[in-house]
Amino acid sequence: MFWALVALLLPLAGGLLSALCGLARVPKLAALPAVLSFAAAAVLSLMVLSDVYHGGGELRFAANLGTWFSAGHLTANVTFTLDPLSLTMLCTVTFIATWIAVFSASYMHGDAGFARYFAVMGLFVFFMCLLVLADNFFLLVAGWEGVGLCSYLLVGYYYAKPSAASAARKALLVTRLGDVGMILGIFLLWRMGGYATDLSVLFERIGNNPPPAAEMTTACLLLFCGAVGKSAQLPLYVWLPDAMEGPTPVSALIHAATMVTAGVYLLARCAPLFVLSPDAQLAVAIVGGLTAFVAAFIALAQYDLKRVLAYSTVSQLGFMFMALGCGGVVSPKMTVMAAVFHLFTHAFFKALLFLGSGSVMHAMGGVIDMRKFGGLRKVMPVTHATFLIGALALAGFPLLSGFWSKDHILHVLSDAGETRMKYHNTYYAVFLLAALTALMTAFYTFRAYFLTFWGPVKIPHEAHGHAHESPKMMTIPLIVLAVFALGVGAVVDPITHGFGHFLDRTPSIARADQLYFKTTNMVHTEHEFNWTIAAISAVLAGVGILAAAALYGRGGPEKVPAGLGGLHSLSANRLYVDEVYEATLVKPVEGLAVAGRQFDSFLDAFARLLSYLPRFGAAVLRPLQNGLVQFYALGMILGLGVFLTVILVRSAK
Amino acid sequence: MISLWHFLAVGAVLFGLGLIGFLTRRNLITMFLCAEMMLQGVVLNFLAFGRYHGNMSGQVFGLFIITVAACEAGLALALFLTLYRRGKSLDSADWQTVREAGLPPTVDTDPLPRPPAEPLPPTLPVAGRLPDTFAASHPETTRA
Repeated sequence: MFWALVALLLPLAGGLLSALCGLARVPKLAALPAVLSFAAAAVLSLMVLSDVYHGGGELRFAANLGTWFSAGHLTANVTFTLDPLSLTMLCTVTFIATWIAVFSASYMHGDAGFARYFAVMGLFVFFMCLLVLADNFFLLVAGWEGVGLCSYLLVGYYYAKPSAASAARKALLVTRLGDVGMILGIFLLWRMGGYATDLSVLFERIGNNPPPAAEMTTACLLLFCGAVGKSAQLPLYVWLPDAMEGPTPVSALIHAATMVTAGVYLLARCAPLFVLSPDAQLAVAIVGGLTAFVAAFIALAQYDLKRVLAYSTVSQLGFMFMALGCGGVVSPKMTVMAAVFHLFTHAFFKALLFLGSGSVMHAMGGVIDMRKFGGLRKVMPVTHATFLIGALALAGFPLLSGFWSKDHILHVLSDAGETRMKYHNTYYAVFLLAALTALMTAFYTFRAYFLTFWGPVKIPHEAHGHAHESPKMMTIPLIVLAVFALGVGAVVDPITHGFGHFLDRTPSIARADQLYFKTTNMVHTEHEFNWTIAAISAVLAGVGILAAAALYGRGGPEKVPAGLGGLHSLSANRLYVDEVYEATLVKPVEGLAVAGRQFDSFLDAFARLLSYLPRFGAAVLRPLQNGLVQFYALGMILGLGVFLTVILVRSAK
Repeated sequence: MISLWHFLAVGAVLFGLGLIGFLTRRNLITMFLCAEMMLQGVVLNFLAFGRYHGNMSGQVFGLFIITVAACEAGLALALFLTLYRRGKSLDSADWQTVREAGLPPTVDTDPLPRPPAEPLPPTLPVAGRLPDTFAASHPETTRA
């Protein structure tokens, strides 16, 4: 536990040192403390992992560092928990952040805000680790909001650019919308769980005396609101594609390791609560399914390479939520395992893809529009090879990491559809949606891949004629991540089942499992590898890739199959969601703001009027001060006369 | 027998005379003397009541007032002297500059006759500077 806390504090220290480097006017050194601290944190958490990996039974270390604040019944303790779930997250976050930091050191080289970039990055990783390790809802919220703040700072890194500034504001405001729900949910749980805010205590109490179903569903849905905002699910996903305005490694960090996985982690952590509310689970699954489908559909016709990847992240997060949403009908052990496993593999290949697109952008002089470049496989061989691996993993090509984890999710969904429980038809529909989305995923990923790397060589003039492979500092992280994207899935779970067994030792997940078996009277079954599902998902990936190859194999320009023009423009315009939001939400609020301003200026005028009254009186009286001594004396005497008269008259009564 | 009423009547008469003098005269020194007279009317009241009640408080007050009045007289006369040096006038209507900003001065329709101007005392030119008459006839000696 001690070493985990050290790993938590290291990124913070690294970030502070980076900031000091900036203040001490040696910004070139700023990358060093950040990279070293992330690497040290990663090594530490991996050491902890290898320490506790073997063995059986439940695994949980707790640390209580006292009370943070206390008011009435509300007490927030500084408590940390280290169980397989949080340890997995910790290792993923620090490991990926290390390689992203190495990449950024080269990518951001010579930028004016170099030190600021690494300082905020250190803070970002620190808050994410805090979120993952916290055993108290309020500490978790602190990490949660800290991550939001850092995403604001990093998305708005080029703050002089208006689009970046507004994207940062959008990211902050949209996620804040979900956070309101989350805070309300936390307070509801606090009341239901006998005024406790520690997660482990709450799980115990609520599991022992389950509150009414309606109340439980409300609390779970409110928590889910927060996850929807942070993890960019259906109504609130609009901030994530816009967050592309930040530097590309930031996108990699946000999409792979830190920000967006927070929502998935929250739901995985709160599995013992969600298992008590099948309705909330269903909502989670439906939202996840719709998000996955809609985002994949939008990704089909985007021209911005980073935007394709952003929508694919939204879509993959939808997959994770679909899996989490099955927790009421399938054993939570399996659903959480599927979601966290996908999160884990997704972190590798998505970081890889984003860093690859950053490498492309670096070589193309900042151009990221796929219509302007093409045929880069000869120009940038390393980037091409690693990007191909990432794309295969994302598409779910057999034997790569993404295949195994997506297969898990589809398996869980089909299980949920086949049970004879309430809602199984809906779950079956979600399964079909997920399968369709998997097909689309393979298609749009390879559309982007072919448009970028195949066809005739086309280089935009912004590259100034020296488009080249990126330096070693950038290709090494790509190669490392590619190796992991290639093998991590197979090595970690399907062969050894190590990941699943390790995760099963998380007390909160075991607790959820226990509650599930108690409420559903299901018989415990061992997880079997489902060959049918695996075959289906392999075929889907293959069909998607072949379709993309047929349409785009010789590179651009875009060819739209006849009859699908309407769908294509719908997708290219992102289903007009931003426009609809603009018309239905932004415009009325703007109108309200204008009305408020008018009312305010009316109040101002009234206040000014009031202030004119004494001024007017003063203007009347001012000539009395004429500087003549005897005039003043006369005034005094007259006043005295009036005073005496009043006294005399009153005493005479 | 001299009763309390007699004292008070004398005091009131003194106060009233002083008041009328203060309001009607415009010479600063006369006005100041009238103010002193009003003060003495008040002191007389203190003394009368002190005697009437048979204690010393009134007397003590009287002594204090006389002391304060002496200080005040010194101060006031010094101020008048300064004013006279600046404006060669003791007319209270001439000193109305401390009035509301932007207000036109009150015009005195019946000003006091000006005292004849005194000739300036003879002075020597400051050492190192030539007399004006010499400088006028020898322009090459003046410094630029």
